[in-house]
Amino acid sequence: MSGTLAVYQKEMATYFRSPIAYYVVAVFLLGSGYFFLYNIFLSGETAMAGTFQNMGVLLMTLAPVISMRLLAAEYNAGTAELLLTLPLTPWQIVIGKFLGAVTILLLITAGTMVDLIPLYLFGTPETTTILAGYIGFVLLGLACLAVGQLFSTVTHNQIVAALLSAAVLLAFWFVGHLQTFQASPGVRALVGYLSFSLHFTDFIQGLVRTEGLVFYLVVSAIALTLSVAYLQWRR
Amino acid sequence: MSTSPAIHLDSVSKRYGSRTIIHDLSFSVAPGEIVGFLGPNGAGKTTTMRMIAGFTAATSGRVTVAGHDMATDNVSAARLVGYLPERPPLYDVLDVSAYLRFVARVKGVRRAAIRGEIERVAAACRLEAVLDFEIFKLSKGYRQRLGLAQALLGSPEVLLLDEPTAGLDPGQIQETREVIRAFGTDHAVLLSTHILAEATLICQRVAIINHGRLLAIDSPSGLQRAMEQTNRVALRVTGAAPALRDTLLAVDGVRGVDLRADAAEPGVLTVDCQVDARDGVEAAIARAVAGRFDLHRLERSQPTLENVFLRYVQESPASGEAA
Repeated sequence: MSGTLAVYQKEMATYFRSPIAYYVVAVFLLGSGYFFLYNIFLSGETAMAGTFQNMGVLLMTLAPVISMRLLAAEYNAGTAELLLTLPLTPWQIVIGKFLGAVTILLLITAGTMVDLIPLYLFGTPETTTILAGYIGFVLLGLACLAVGQLFSTVTHNQIVAALLSAAVLLAFWFVGHLQTFQASPGVRALVGYLSFSLHFTDFIQGLVRTEGLVFYLVVSAIALTLSVAYLQWRR
Repeated sequence: MSTSPAIHLDSVSKRYGSRTIIHDLSFSVAPGEIVGFLGPNGAGKTTTMRMIAGFTAATSGRVTVAGHDMATDNVSAARLVGYLPERPPLYDVLDVSAYLRFVARVKGVRRAAIRGEIERVAAACRLEAVLDFEIFKLSKGYRQRLGLAQALLGSPEVLLLDEPTAGLDPGQIQETREVIRAFGTDHAVLLSTHILAEATLICQRVAIINHGRLLAIDSPSGLQRAMEQTNRVALRVTGAAPALRDTLLAVDGVRGVDLRADAAEPGVLTVDCQVDARDGVEAAIARAVAGRFDLHRLERSQPTLENVFLRYVQESPASGEAA
C-alpha cells in the first residue's frame, strides 16, 4: 500500500510540475463551459444532459493526453529502469499511476460543477439526474484512463500512445452507431453493449444501471490487468 | 552477515528473439567484495546488470540476489539492491530532495528516518548544495552523483553500478571511488566500467566479458600473472623479413612472431614475439639476432591490466562463432 501511495504522490508531483495537468484542466473546463452555455441558451432548459454528452466527447480526446505519459514517459526518460527495479509490484506501479490520472479526472469533474451554480440559481434542475450524469462521467473517465494507460504501457512514444488511445476510445464511443446498419440482433446487441456513449446516455438520463456501471468497471479492470501483464511479460 | 554470495549467476543466458546476448554466464560476488565488470561496448555488461537488478529476466539459468531468485522473488530482492543504471534514472521535474524522498519511501526507509538517510547520501555524494534544485537544472556530474545517491539509499546489501564515474571530473571521480570503496567494505558491489585503472584501484576482482561470454574473473594481479604465462618481446631490427622470422622461430622459447615494416624508416622491422614466461628467452633472441641483423631495440613487456583486457577481448570468439 505504501508503495502504491509513494507512486501516486510522485505522479501528482510530476503532473503539477509539468504543464500537462494545467493544460488538460484548462481546455476541458473552457470546452465544457462553452458547451454548457450553448446548451442552456439553445434549449432554454435547466438541465445538464446536453453538456454531459459534449463532456463525454471532450473526454475521449483529452483522457489520452492525461494518460499518455504514464509509462511511455518513464521508458523515454530512462526512469522505468528505476521504477521497475524498485521493490514495487507491477500492480502497485499501475494502480499508483492510475490513481494519479484519476485525480486529474476528479479535478476536472469538480471544476465543471461551477456550471451548476447558475443552474440552481435560475432554475430547478433534477438533482438525481445530474448526480447520475456525474457518476456516469467519472465511470466513463475511469475506463478511458485505463485504456489510455494500457497504450502508454505498451509504447515508448507518448504521442503514439495518445493517438492510439484516442482512436480506440473514439471507436468505442461511436461503435453504437453501427446498430443502425446491423440486421443481426446478436451483432446489434454486441455493438450496443460495447458502446461507451450508449451506456453513458443511460447515466445522463438519470439511469444508474448495473449493466453500465459493471461495463465501465470491467473495461477499466481489463485494461489495468493487461497493463500489469505487459509489465510482467516485458521482463 | 551471510557468507552466501550476495550475487550469484548460474549458467545465465539472455536471448532477444533468435539473438543470444548473454551466453551461459556464471559468477558470484560475495558480501564485502567489489567486483569490476569490464568489457567493450556491446559486450553484455548492461544486460547482465539489468538481469541482476530485475529489470529484465534471464531466458535460462538462475540469478539470485541475497538468496532471492530474481525469476520468482524479484520484489523481495529489490529491497536489498541499490542500482545505478548506465543513464541515471532521474525525474527532471522533481527537485532533488523530492526525488530522493520518493526512492527512500519505496525502498522501505522508515518515514522518521528518511530525512537523515537523505542527508547521509547527499553528504556522501556531495549533493547538499543542490537538494532544493529541480533536477533538470543539474549539471551532468550532479546528475550522475544523484543517480549514485539514490542507489545508496537504505544501505542496500548489493550495489549495482553501471559506469558510475561517467561524466564526472577528476576530483569527483576520486570522491566517487572513495564512496564506492567505503561502501564495498561491508556490502557487495558490482561495478561496470570502461576505465581499467578504476578496476585496478577499487576492485578486489575483475570479470572480463565480451560477446556475452565471461572470459576471465580474477583479481587484477591474478589476471596479470596468468597473462605472464606468455610474455611478449618487442624488437626493432634492420634486415630481411623472412630470414628474421626463421631466425626468431628457431630460438627456444619463441612461440610466435609478428613482423611489420616501419613506415617511417624503410628497411626497419618492428617485431612482436610471443615468448614463454621464463628467464633467458630475450637473451637467447638477442644472441640469435646480433650477428646476422642490425638490432636497434629489444625489450620484454610486462602485461598491464590493459594488455590483459585487450588480449582477452581480441582473442574471444564473436557471438555466433563460439560453441
